[in-house]
Amino acid sequence: MNKLYALLARHNASLYLTMLAVFALMAYINGDKFLSAYNIGSMAYQLPIIGLLSVGMMISMLTGGINLSIIANANLNGIIIWQVLEFLTGPGRMKEAGTTAIVIAILAGFMVSGLVGLINGFLIAVFEIPDILVTLGTMTLIGGLNIVITRGYTITGFPASLNWIGNGQIYSIPVPILLFLLAVIITSVILYRTRFGFSLYMMGANATAARYSGVNLTRVIVAQYILSACFASLTSLVMIGQLNSIKSNYAESYLLVAVLASFLGGVDPLGGFGRIGGVLAATVILQIISSGLNLMRMDPFMITAMWGAIIIIIIFAKALTGVIKRHWQPTSQSGK
Amino acid sequence: MAGNSILKHREAVLAALVVVLALGTSLINPNFLTLENITDLLKANTVSGIFSLGVLMVIVSGGFDVSFTAIAQVTQYAIVLLMLERTEGNIYLAILAAVFFGIVLGLINGAIIHYYNMPAIIVTIATQSLYYGIMYVVTRGRQINDIPSFFWSFSNAKVVEFTSPAGGTYGLSLITALWFILAVILYVFLRHSKLGRSIYAVGGSRISAERIGFNLAHTTLFVYAAMGALAGLAGVVHVSIVQSVIPSSIVGSELQVIAAVVLGGASVTGGKGTVLGAFLGVLLLAILSNSLTLLRISSYYSNVFTGLIILISVTANAIQVQRQRRQRVRVQIDKA
Amino acid sequence: MNFINAKNISKDFGGVHALKGVYFTVRQGEIMGLVGQNGCGKSTLIKTLAGVWRPDGGTLEIAGQKVENPSPFIAIKLGVSVIYQDLSLFPNLSVLENICLGPIIGDNSLLSRISLYRGKAMEILARLGIDINPDDLVEDLPIAKQQLVAIARALANDSRLLILDEPTTALTRREIIQLFSLLSNLKKGGISFVFISHKLGEILEICDRVTVMRDGSIIGTEEAASLNISQIEGMMLGHALALQKKTAFRSGKEVVLSVEHLSKKNHFLDVSFALHAGEVLGLSGLLGSGRTELASAIFGISPADSGKILIRGKEVRIASVGNAIHYGIAYVPEDRLTQGLVMPHSISNNIVIATLEQYLGRLALLSFQKIGLTVKNWISKLDIKTDDARKAASTLSGGNQQKIVIAKWLAMNPAVLIMDGPTVGIDVGAKRAIYDTIQTNAAQGMAVIVISDDIPELLANCDRILIMHGGRLTVEMPTSEADEESLQRSMEIRSGA
Repeated sequence: MNKLYALLARHNASLYLTMLAVFALMAYINGDKFLSAYNIGSMAYQLPIIGLLSVGMMISMLTGGINLSIIANANLNGIIIWQVLEFLTGPGRMKEAGTTAIVIAILAGFMVSGLVGLINGFLIAVFEIPDILVTLGTMTLIGGLNIVITRGYTITGFPASLNWIGNGQIYSIPVPILLFLLAVIITSVILYRTRFGFSLYMMGANATAARYSGVNLTRVIVAQYILSACFASLTSLVMIGQLNSIKSNYAESYLLVAVLASFLGGVDPLGGFGRIGGVLAATVILQIISSGLNLMRMDPFMITAMWGAIIIIIIFAKALTGVIKRHWQPTSQSGK
Repeated sequence: MAGNSILKHREAVLAALVVVLALGTSLINPNFLTLENITDLLKANTVSGIFSLGVLMVIVSGGFDVSFTAIAQVTQYAIVLLMLERTEGNIYLAILAAVFFGIVLGLINGAIIHYYNMPAIIVTIATQSLYYGIMYVVTRGRQINDIPSFFWSFSNAKVVEFTSPAGGTYGLSLITALWFILAVILYVFLRHSKLGRSIYAVGGSRISAERIGFNLAHTTLFVYAAMGALAGLAGVVHVSIVQSVIPSSIVGSELQVIAAVVLGGASVTGGKGTVLGAFLGVLLLAILSNSLTLLRISSYYSNVFTGLIILISVTANAIQVQRQRRQRVRVQIDKA
Repeated sequence: MNFINAKNISKDFGGVHALKGVYFTVRQGEIMGLVGQNGCGKSTLIKTLAGVWRPDGGTLEIAGQKVENPSPFIAIKLGVSVIYQDLSLFPNLSVLENICLGPIIGDNSLLSRISLYRGKAMEILARLGIDINPDDLVEDLPIAKQQLVAIARALANDSRLLILDEPTTALTRREIIQLFSLLSNLKKGGISFVFISHKLGEILEICDRVTVMRDGSIIGTEEAASLNISQIEGMMLGHALALQKKTAFRSGKEVVLSVEHLSKKNHFLDVSFALHAGEVLGLSGLLGSGRTELASAIFGISPADSGKILIRGKEVRIASVGNAIHYGIAYVPEDRLTQGLVMPHSISNNIVIATLEQYLGRLALLSFQKIGLTVKNWISKLDIKTDDARKAASTLSGGNQQKIVIAKWLAMNPAVLIMDGPTVGIDVGAKRAIYDTIQTNAAQGMAVIVISDDIPELLANCDRILIMHGGRLTVEMPTSEADEESLQRSMEIRSGA
């Protein structure tokens, strides 16, 4: 019994099992189509978008918050890149932009997105406004700005070397996957091996005690939202390349997927707990499901419904494991 | 209640803002303060207004709901289909069925939130996708333009009617009157009924409420069911105004409604908020977007302003709360 | 006649026996004292009487009626009200509504007819001698007044048994005397009380009988008149911890921390004192005297408005906890659960949280090896009883939890260690160990401030004692000149009075 409990308790183990099961299921249903190089390749290109957004969301959820503005911010980032490129090369000529211009544009994107993160963090930390309200406000505001700047049009014609980030290859490995893995590695170092990361987890579990132990809550919250915003920027870079375009409201439906991936990956929605490996596994699972359903020519809305259903199922499953836990693992504290 | 000076103060500020904005707009465009424009404006915001009543209740109880637009959308579709099936349908039957259907969907939210003790935002993000996705899959996103005529009569009915110089008629719509009546009922309910007071009590302190003998399950289930009922009703009102069922026409406006309620002084941490405040919040956002139109400012800007207003109002509120907390007497200092 | 008659009650929580065959009675019109160390089962017993927990075995009779299906609602109906330590009021509702909510949910109307109960509520407020505007929000009242509102609410519920959980902690002596005379009056009217307090003097002063619990069992129920404090202590602890007044005093010459004319509006006023290396300074005062607020200011939690803080003679600005730590000030807070520990996280994380910069290795990244060494070191040094530092702090007993908090601060080798209620709610063994830790570190030159209610504890540990009242420092005396009675008295009087 205890062994079974230990297995259940190791959330990541059950996630990897789920991943295998889902993969096998989709391969069984879709046959060769699913295992084809083309499908695996396209999954590898799509995964980073969900993945980057999910990691960005996870960072906010670790403090018990939520970053509703992450997708609006990603779109803003693309718009800034477009504006800077046009500014540097002239209207309609951004395809000709050189490396310097592209680098400047990318940096400008990071700065503006980072600024949004800074505003989020500042309002949440200094005025103690609930995260959900602040990021709801910035999401609406930025979404509005995105429409104002683009007039609702889709903007195309990005330079090929910029698009390379989203659709290129290095030794036949998609660049976005490499970018995503690099971001994951850097983030795991930040989360597990720096003072900031340590403080983030402690603050998420008990902000008062963290403060009484010398954690500067304001600094952690602000840094957390800036880091989360960086993932919006990275997402934007990948999206530009894959879609060769930007729009005020791309990928809006991914907000749910990002929350779902964090939740499925074992991030406690109340904050303080969650591993990046879990979120990584969760995004792979979601990508496998999404690609598999697409191959089955499943209605995209069916997939949306499915995401919702998966959250509900996880809630039931967590309640179930909670029952098992209480049954087999008596804790000494419950008497209080 | 009588001691609620902050909220009173806030309502006064909001009312003043509404007046200033209205007067300012009418200086530039005299059409604004005509009875015709005002009644049109109210009619156009009746759906948000009805939503806001439910959202207020949910937020005061310490909950959160982003799924109400999906409930309205699904209910609307189902009810119109049902009415098209039957030959002798009428508006009463439609409303009754919509309210019933809405209650069922709302109860599902409430039950998961209460019995599985999950954050409401996660649960309702999930059910939003689930309800909406299933509807889309079942209906294949088909638009219905052939709406039974009693829907039209419902939205066109006026309580008070005038004839404009141009020959058209205008006046206070029945549906707007319905919104006002519901608002008054909710006001009385929240202030004077046992259940209404328990919603405030539970929002103020769940633990205290449980200890004093409140049934938290009843309160939570009631609040989400009532939200569902109002959403169902709003769905019917919406189709009667729009005269067609477009599966994507309501979902997406939920944050706007939440923003209006929060603007009206409801606290997302629960326990605070008034019907009058929510009403003024809806009105303010409505006038703002209406004046943008009348001032010939592109409608693209409406989200920008909404976002700004949300951020400014929650910040102002937070500053006030902080200041109050700082002034709270911790120690009665001895006179020397 | 027994109003409460609990027979052979047992209650398990996942294998932990919180109550083991408890027999507990409360007669009509008596005040029953209930004492025991934290974790002895007092709170489980109260919650069982209040219908929050359903007992696993035994029978419970309230007012002669056997309770078959316990619930808070039924308990209230039968006349049992609990005033929890956190008061369980609704901060967002008015005083009047807080008082009347009980009767309102008890009546059979769907409406909240508050006007029906207004008169009664006002009468109760008048009887309690409380001067409050009934329309004020509870959150705007000071804690002491909120407590009175909670008592008024219980009375408004027509309760025939009031369970008071540590009702006097937030009250001044004058208010306590008023409360006691009120309780005596109500008692004459046939109302019963269960009075829970760790202030044994008060227990003997007000109670008719006293029940002592230990480890989920009743150790004994005796007439209060036949008991004295040390007898109760003996029953509570099993073996008493005898505290001797400190005799060997020690104080270095060097002033480590000094505070000059420190003030903060609504917190404390014009406080000055000096703390020497190697000295253990006691700080006491009633709740609401400003002692915890003063410590919070020195530690940067809520910085002072005016005045100076000097470290080794140099004026420093302490605007945040980070500043305080930078100057070598550490603070073991009052409330372990919310302020002291990140309970769901590991013992290890809790030990190193305040000293992360010590564990940086290559590339300025945290080195788990260094962390592991430090954690191991402190676990053995303070004898923290655990087999695995990766376990959550919440899995340990109160005493071991407190040792984690202390380890966290000793790891930074502070110049000044402030301990607020260092031994509240922990067992005798751990108490002894913490006292030893204080003395060992002081002997090595650390300056320590011990904030405590427990005067024998201060006399046994401190070289000098400060008392606050009404936000001011009113007494400063060497321990050698102090005794329990005079300190107790001086806590209750204001300066110059």
